[in-house]
Amino acid sequence: MLGQVFHLVYIGNGTTLLSGNFDFPLTLHAHCLRIPTKDNPTPGCVWGKGVLLSTKTDNNIDRRLFLKGGAIAVAAIPMSGLLAACSKSSDSGSVASDSPLLGSNADNMKGKTIDFAYSRIGGWPPSSAPETQWADFQAYAQANYGYTVNAITFAEAPFGELFQKVAPTLASQSQEFNLLIVDSQWLGALAEPGWIIKADDVIAANPDLDIEPYSSLVTNTYQVYPDGSGVRWGFPQMPDVQGVFLRKDMLEDPKEQAAFKKKTGKDLASTYEVLSEIEYADLVEIIDFFHRPSKGMYGTALMYSKEYDFFSCAYYPFAYSTGGRIWDPATNDVYGILNTPGNAAAMEQFVSLKKYQPKNFAAFGIGDMIDLFTQGKVFSAWQWCAIGKFMSSDKVPADKVISIPIPKWGGKRIGAMGGQPWVINAFNDDDHMRVAIDVLKWWYTKETQDKFILENGGLPWSKEACANPEYQAVGHYVKPFLFMLSEGNSQDFWHLPEYAEMLAVQQEAFNGYATGQVKTAAAALEYAAAKQQQILFKAGRTKTEPPANVDSLKL
Amino acid sequence: MSTTTVMKPSRRKGPISFLTILGWFTAILFFLPIAWIISTALKPKNTVLDIPPKFVFMPTFQNLVDAVSFSNTLQYFVHSAIYSFTSVFLAIFVAFLASYSFSRFKPAGTDFLMFLLLSTRFVPAAAFVIPFFQLFNVLKLKDSFLGLIIFYTMFSIPFSVWILKGFMDGVSTKFDETGMVYGASRWHIMFKVVLPQVRSGLVAAFVFNIIFVWNEFLFNFQLGGLKTYGIPVGLFTSITKGGQVDWSFVASIGTLYVMPLALVIFFFQKYLLVGLTFGTVRGEV
Amino acid sequence: MSEKVEKFESKIKSTSTARANKRMSWLLLAPVLIFFAMMNILPTIWMLGLSFYNYTLTSANGATYAGLSNYFDFVKNEQLSQSVSRTFLFLIIAIICQTFLGILIGVLFWKNDKMPGKRLALTLLFTPMVVTPIATALFWKLILDPTFGVMNYFLTSLGLSKVDFLTSSSLAFPTLIVVDTWMWTPFMALMTLAALGSVPKAELEAASVDKLPIYRQVTTVIWPHAKFILMLGILLRSIDAFKTMDLTYIMTNGGPGDRTELIALSLYRFAFKSFKLGYASAVSVFLLFIAIALTAIYLHVLNARKKAEAQA
Repeated sequence: MLGQVFHLVYIGNGTTLLSGNFDFPLTLHAHCLRIPTKDNPTPGCVWGKGVLLSTKTDNNIDRRLFLKGGAIAVAAIPMSGLLAACSKSSDSGSVASDSPLLGSNADNMKGKTIDFAYSRIGGWPPSSAPETQWADFQAYAQANYGYTVNAITFAEAPFGELFQKVAPTLASQSQEFNLLIVDSQWLGALAEPGWIIKADDVIAANPDLDIEPYSSLVTNTYQVYPDGSGVRWGFPQMPDVQGVFLRKDMLEDPKEQAAFKKKTGKDLASTYEVLSEIEYADLVEIIDFFHRPSKGMYGTALMYSKEYDFFSCAYYPFAYSTGGRIWDPATNDVYGILNTPGNAAAMEQFVSLKKYQPKNFAAFGIGDMIDLFTQGKVFSAWQWCAIGKFMSSDKVPADKVISIPIPKWGGKRIGAMGGQPWVINAFNDDDHMRVAIDVLKWWYTKETQDKFILENGGLPWSKEACANPEYQAVGHYVKPFLFMLSEGNSQDFWHLPEYAEMLAVQQEAFNGYATGQVKTAAAALEYAAAKQQQILFKAGRTKTEPPANVDSLKL
Repeated sequence: MSTTTVMKPSRRKGPISFLTILGWFTAILFFLPIAWIISTALKPKNTVLDIPPKFVFMPTFQNLVDAVSFSNTLQYFVHSAIYSFTSVFLAIFVAFLASYSFSRFKPAGTDFLMFLLLSTRFVPAAAFVIPFFQLFNVLKLKDSFLGLIIFYTMFSIPFSVWILKGFMDGVSTKFDETGMVYGASRWHIMFKVVLPQVRSGLVAAFVFNIIFVWNEFLFNFQLGGLKTYGIPVGLFTSITKGGQVDWSFVASIGTLYVMPLALVIFFFQKYLLVGLTFGTVRGEV
Repeated sequence: MSEKVEKFESKIKSTSTARANKRMSWLLLAPVLIFFAMMNILPTIWMLGLSFYNYTLTSANGATYAGLSNYFDFVKNEQLSQSVSRTFLFLIIAIICQTFLGILIGVLFWKNDKMPGKRLALTLLFTPMVVTPIATALFWKLILDPTFGVMNYFLTSLGLSKVDFLTSSSLAFPTLIVVDTWMWTPFMALMTLAALGSVPKAELEAASVDKLPIYRQVTTVIWPHAKFILMLGILLRSIDAFKTMDLTYIMTNGGPGDRTELIALSLYRFAFKSFKLGYASAVSVFLLFIAIALTAIYLHVLNARKKAEAQA
């Protein structure tokens, strides 16, 4: 396929881009040509002279988009236009005045009644907030554009299972979910087959949706795919970073402080100012001090579960902060980058904390952090900041809790990103596309964000919102949250479509090391790196072959 | 041998025996984890994770009320009932017709067809879900009761046919012949003469299949939607609240959802015992 | 009435009766066959076909013909073959435990026919297999938890140390078998009760009149009648054990490491996590062959029963 001459027509919901003959660059192939058609229902691309390419199955739309020979004349739009659309620039051609990507205007939706559906993460309040606040949108749509939206419907599932619910619907070009809240790792898997609308196209039509983020972390985590390309596909819905939650009451207890001083000769840190700059070794010293298993109080808790990305995300800060990398986004290589002595040492350190935790630490996930901490069983827990609101209970009330950024390793710290973006279903018909855009516009209004952040467990991510003192006062966890969201303090990992497979082998191997099934951290990393290299090689992401023994590797 | 019991009548009578105590002990031992679920449902929410555990507490029905009023729980109950009962009834009806045919007419390839029917029941569900997804998409059956009912009917047919054919073979063909002589139609013979004699088989097939359909998760999750989700999906998607497992909710739903099946087992126990033999004990029925 | 009888008799004489019966037989079979073709044959063909393609749902490249490479990948992957052998190990141990305990419990209830509250006791005994598996699996996880679990609470009150049942790489697999045994022993007890119920009472009475020793009663009277249903129970359980998924998915997620990763769970991952549909189909076809083999064994047993009955 590479190098073949194409007459290419690419239509992305109102944005029409045409090109003349050109050599088909592979990178372009990755971003632009996931166009499923009626004749070729599996997402792929169709080419040839004057060939119709449509992302739509609806007959009317097909006719509208049907571009016969004459339309090829439009190919006068220079090839650079297409290239631009697929690269950094956000102004991907001009937007037709009736493009649904503009959202509704005063006339085109007037008097209509419409159903609307979205997908969300089960039991996760920030992701159910759109439903909670839906009455506001209904009023907004009626007041601004004169149409009626029915009660929003949704599908929800836990993190690990939501993708399997939405992916088949998108693969069958269904608009079952008009808007989707997804995990940031899924961006590639959704973008490459052409299942979602490019956020850049939407932003080109609606410059007010181009909101300046607090840091590049927001853009890189929730919006851009492939990494470093600058092409945006998602809109931030709920940002999230990692922190450590500690028992403030225990830290501030004068008796404990005296005992700590006696034991270590140091002052027991108890204020945010000191704790937020703490070195890893010093934090472990405090954890060790408060570790009293005979009294039912453990020193700390971290996530080592095999579930979804729990172990990986908890482990990453240990690797990142000590100079490790887990892959090379430029070449898509893993082998030799993940399996380094440095990363192995980091994993050994990460797992060595098991001595301060209950026996079944290897099964800990987000929920266990909450249960252990709020039931008063652990002195500290390494947890997502977005959960901050739930890290207190009647047994451990919020005023006894302090949250801090992750500690420093020799002055350096880099956490892992969490959180979710919105993405727009590419198979929405025009009306639903307009409403989807309207929902996003509404979502980012000050009023909606106020309600989201102040009442429904949301967190800010834009430069403006992050500076809002009202938002900063929502909880003690906002301070470490903003710190970790600052430039360079956190980073996300792969957004490739192969993420699920890669994650599964890695979680299995890492969890195997935590439980003793795999003898050394180096072996676990070797296994994960080799298998991931194989996955990426088979998918054509890299030209570097996996090691020869990859098939015979066992845990 | 017209009695419907399948037990060997023991000659023992009199006061509570050692065997009785042992029997009850075994039953309670197996029931203990379920009892723990039920007690969790009745515990005040904030004491669920207490160690030492609270064995004595003031029962509250708040969790049950909360669980039922949570989101769409009540609708999910109704959905579960609609698709489970309809599809199992439908399956038993068509299986009854088919087993009559297999038993009386013995069409060519009967053994092979019976073999095929059963073998497909043995493939893990995950293998079939994606093909069904695409099939249902084409037929526009996704998130519709029709689609789920068709699927679960198929799901329930193999065992129903097997159970009913076993029973049917045990009903003498003399009944059919006599009916025919008196000019009754095949339909009349089937429904008025043979059907009453395989009643235990019908109930057994019903109980056996409803247990599977009632608790099925994967198909309902992938092929259903808000309009057709049942309780297993409703439970699974709401296990966590705010990132944390809501034990009271899981326990409450688990408790409420098992009730219909527990009642069915209690009241139809003898049929269940007979039915699982696939008609082998027909001499006793 | 007599007119009808005449009509019927003439019908019998007519050569078309056989044909009418044939038509009737297929008419009665039609609904089941239609269901079967639509819901089983079609997806199976789809699955077979797809197993020769490289098709990942999230890939932009569509399906490409891959010959037997999915099957080769499957055979080459030692981890997967490990998971298959692990599944058989699980199956064999679990079935032996469940059969043994099930027979004991079944006999216990069978012997004690006049047991007070027997119906309630049996209902309690059967509940483990009817409560939604999601709820039971989650609660077993809680019950076995070292920090919040009631099991470890009892262990520590007895002066024993805490045990991490589900995360220790040596204990997780046996624990899973214990929970599976808890869940399905009642089923084997049910089958035992049914099997014992199929022994003709007359023969039993004759045996006790003849004062046959117990073991002779078992071998000459009970076993010949009961064995078919027991074998049937074992086979049904084997097949379900082969498909075990709820317990492993919720309680251990295949962990620690891959210690409890059974083949149904691996298949589920290929199909629903990686969406490697071609590969998943190849694995499914492999499992289908195992299923057919198990079904054949099952039918063999049933036919043995028929033959035995014919002889009797």
